[in-house]
Amino acid sequence: MASKPVTRIPGRAFRPRPGHQTYTARRARVGYLFVLPAVIMLALVSVYPLLYNAWLSLHHDVLTDPLATHFSGLANYHLLLTDSEFWGDFLRTLIFTVISVAIELVLGMVLALVVSRKFRARSLVRASILIPWAIPTAVSAMLWKMFFDQRTGFVDFFLGLLHLPGSHEVWFNSPFWAWLPIILSDMWKNTPFVALLLLAGLQGIPHELYESARIDGANAWQIFWRVTVPLMKPTILVALIFRTLSALLIFDTIFVMTGGGPGISTEVVSYYNWYQFMTSLNFGYGAAISVGITIIAMALAFLYVRLMRQGGGFQV
Amino acid sequence: MSRGRAGRIGFAILVGVIIVYSLLPFLWILRSSLESSAGLSQQTSTFWPIGITLTHYRALFTEENFLRPLINSIVVAGMTTVIAVVLGSLAAYALSRLPIKGRMAVLGFVLLVSFFPQIGMVGPLFLVFRHLGWLDTYQSLIFPYLILSLPITTWILTAFFAQIPIEIEEASMVDGASIAQTIGRIFVPLALPGIFTAAILGFLLSWNDLLFALSFIHNPSMFTVPLALVNFRSAFYIHYGQIDAGVVVASIPIALVVLFLQRRIEAGLTAGGVKG
Amino acid sequence: MLLRQRSWAALGSAALLMGVLSACGSSPSASGSSNVTLVFANQGLGTELKATQTAVKGFEKLHPHIKVKIETLSANSNDAYQSLVTDFTSGSSTPDVITADVIWPAAFAAAHWIQPLSASQYHLNHFFQGMVKAGEYKGTLYAIPWFINVEGLYYRTDLVKTPPKTFSALVADAKAVQKKHPKMYGLAFEGDKYEGAVTVFQDVSGGFGGEFLNAQGKPVINSRANIKALTWLDNLIKKGISPTAVTGWEEGQVQQAFLSGNAVFATNWPYLYPLAEAQGSAVKNKVGFAPPPAIASGKVTASLGGDVLVINKNTKYPKQAEELVKYLTSSKTMTQRALISGDPPARTDAYTKSLIAQAPWFAQEEKVYKYAVPRPVTPLYPQISAAIQTALSEVYSGQASPKAALDQAQQKAKSIISNNGQ
Repeated sequence: MASKPVTRIPGRAFRPRPGHQTYTARRARVGYLFVLPAVIMLALVSVYPLLYNAWLSLHHDVLTDPLATHFSGLANYHLLLTDSEFWGDFLRTLIFTVISVAIELVLGMVLALVVSRKFRARSLVRASILIPWAIPTAVSAMLWKMFFDQRTGFVDFFLGLLHLPGSHEVWFNSPFWAWLPIILSDMWKNTPFVALLLLAGLQGIPHELYESARIDGANAWQIFWRVTVPLMKPTILVALIFRTLSALLIFDTIFVMTGGGPGISTEVVSYYNWYQFMTSLNFGYGAAISVGITIIAMALAFLYVRLMRQGGGFQV
Repeated sequence: MSRGRAGRIGFAILVGVIIVYSLLPFLWILRSSLESSAGLSQQTSTFWPIGITLTHYRALFTEENFLRPLINSIVVAGMTTVIAVVLGSLAAYALSRLPIKGRMAVLGFVLLVSFFPQIGMVGPLFLVFRHLGWLDTYQSLIFPYLILSLPITTWILTAFFAQIPIEIEEASMVDGASIAQTIGRIFVPLALPGIFTAAILGFLLSWNDLLFALSFIHNPSMFTVPLALVNFRSAFYIHYGQIDAGVVVASIPIALVVLFLQRRIEAGLTAGGVKG
Repeated sequence: MLLRQRSWAALGSAALLMGVLSACGSSPSASGSSNVTLVFANQGLGTELKATQTAVKGFEKLHPHIKVKIETLSANSNDAYQSLVTDFTSGSSTPDVITADVIWPAAFAAAHWIQPLSASQYHLNHFFQGMVKAGEYKGTLYAIPWFINVEGLYYRTDLVKTPPKTFSALVADAKAVQKKHPKMYGLAFEGDKYEGAVTVFQDVSGGFGGEFLNAQGKPVINSRANIKALTWLDNLIKKGISPTAVTGWEEGQVQQAFLSGNAVFATNWPYLYPLAEAQGSAVKNKVGFAPPPAIASGKVTASLGGDVLVINKNTKYPKQAEELVKYLTSSKTMTQRALISGDPPARTDAYTKSLIAQAPWFAQEEKVYKYAVPRPVTPLYPQISAAIQTALSEVYSGQASPKAALDQAQQKAKSIISNNGQ
């Protein structure tokens, strides 16, 4: 059987000769092989542990009592639903998330607007806001803890200089004020990320729209709310989802700064989960908590995917 | 135009506040790290350190042996980055220019993994590593760190590679070059900036972790930098000066990396985050 | 196809990389030659590590076929505990000999991780009985005391003539000094949310006649005595005798406050004494160490700390491990350690005349040991302690009254015990 003339358009298959794969099929096979290592690696280190978690959560498994491990069904979940400390942590984490994400969005937008303008110190500003983002969370938390130290910290020094109240205050001993350094540290490190995301979105808005709005007589405030924000909706939502997930899962800062104290007033769900695993050595119950947290994270993930689908699919 | 001038002054103040807020905490710790222990013991602090000294830095490296955690962090983050870049590049190459079915599924899966809560991995991985005898080893960190850096590496590389026009490679192949030569001479040079960016971000993400290190490493000689810093508090003789010095030493390399590679980092973050 | 070859090469190199990585990392191992290597897990740093190394060298000289490898555990008690739990639960044969905090042997013994020891080999009558008891579980001996620690009351001999014997006397003394030196702290104590706050609370609680678990092992955390004790501690902060900052202080900060001369009284452990008498110390020759105060219906209580030695049940060399333990707990070795690191020996015959001559403060410390009281000897102690820590932290930060906080801790302790390791 005669084959069609050879055309060198890559991707377009030759008529398959019996026993031979098409060019496309061969390239597809290579593609699968290339993708496989990454997918397998990810599945191994993430999917497998999650499944193991689900299995663990159905058992009573405490490391210091290895002979007492047994299948316990939904007992751990029942415990979780009635654990007042957990739900207190959940509420605290939720409130912290709402507050910090709101602040970060607003400040991030301000930063993005500032950096989008051309001015002399622009590179300096861009560099200085990026540095906090790169410093490890634990280091940043340690930094802010020293910053708020009631003897050697800057806050103490500054308030004392201005003779304002709050000098020598032991911030970490107040169930309310202990949140301030936590939020400041979190904000310091994460606002740059939000700002960069928003900046990219900002730069995607064509200048003509601003021009025409100005010609129509709108002032800066109106332009911002009627032109900028609506067009940035997808970017804002992306930033919102990423930051919400991170804030809900906050651990490093709490561990370093307060250990959940004073009392349990700054305890968050991740910290409680970690405590169950690593201090109480109760892996069954810890696994149940982890499953709960994972479900919440997955809910956010699906929200994100839906958002992307609406925005016109993956632009890759 | 007084309104214009007021606007400019207001803007300048805003810029000033931003710079101060971003750098001040770090500068204050730098100041404290240079202050003598006697000065730090005072009831209140002053702007300029009392008794400027380098003893805390010296003690950091002699008494606390801080070099060890630095080395550990570099090795772990480095190895993780190498693996993430290799696996991520392979996958990104396929996802961006090879006709595989289920591209969306793979990308979706990679995205999903980046949403998995870290705390959800700690328990099972601890049990698995314990069983394998891998606690207190480099691999107990490298594998989990791949959860942190492989997704974003793959994403960024896919986005970058997709921007490299396939026509150039195809033209080279039409001209008779082999696949190896095409990839080696044409593609890789164009891909290098993207790879570099992905590597930087992957490295920073690995360097950043505390939770996994806290859970899998208990032997002080295997501590990573964040873990070592956190453990300073527990030693009986806590010298604030040494903690300050440790924070500075842990931050300066990062700060320098950021300063020099700022544009790349920004490009990587936006490619990974905004392009969806 | 070259592409396919390349992809296999990629897979192969990735696999090779992983194989290479698996061989990386560090882990202790026992050598298998004619020599025996024991792994000795130990927590000390600085002078304590030096003392351990000196003792180990002496042991190796006496036993040329035994090498001892020192494995340093984290200085953080929780981390070290987890590290050991990890080794034990994996059935590892190392470490062979372990330095355990005095509160751990019960948990280890209950989980069948450490070996029972034969009391006859160790001349136990020379050791402080409080510590020996802490090493027993269900009547069997599992741990030999290595060095003893008690939390006592440091005081400034130049500001306070005799150490106070009652709580009100302490407050009166502190106030008197603070009148003359308003910037001084009356009492510096550990109030951060950690184990050290519980030991301080134990000192005061016992002084008021309270305890954590009664003789039957049932929690009595919210007893009237304990409520009074916690109220007294809280009032120290409220009345300005202790600075609010103590709510974030651990041993290091208390040490700093006392050694810089800013505190009249301080609760801390014996390690502080040699530091206070070192060259250049601001409080040299002005320091005393006394038992904590008590009321008439209470008992003078000094929280018992210190380290004991235990042997891994799965050790490959039980005989050699016992030799090491015997050597380390001999009175000569203990005296040697005391001089290098300041760790007080756990046996009375180690307090030789020459030791007292070189370090006279050991005489003062010895007087406090007879008041040593261990914390509850139960495998569930870490979790019960966590409940108490939360209660203390809530009171010091004003979130709950002493009664409410201790009631809650009592509830938690009860459920911990009934769930048997919740």
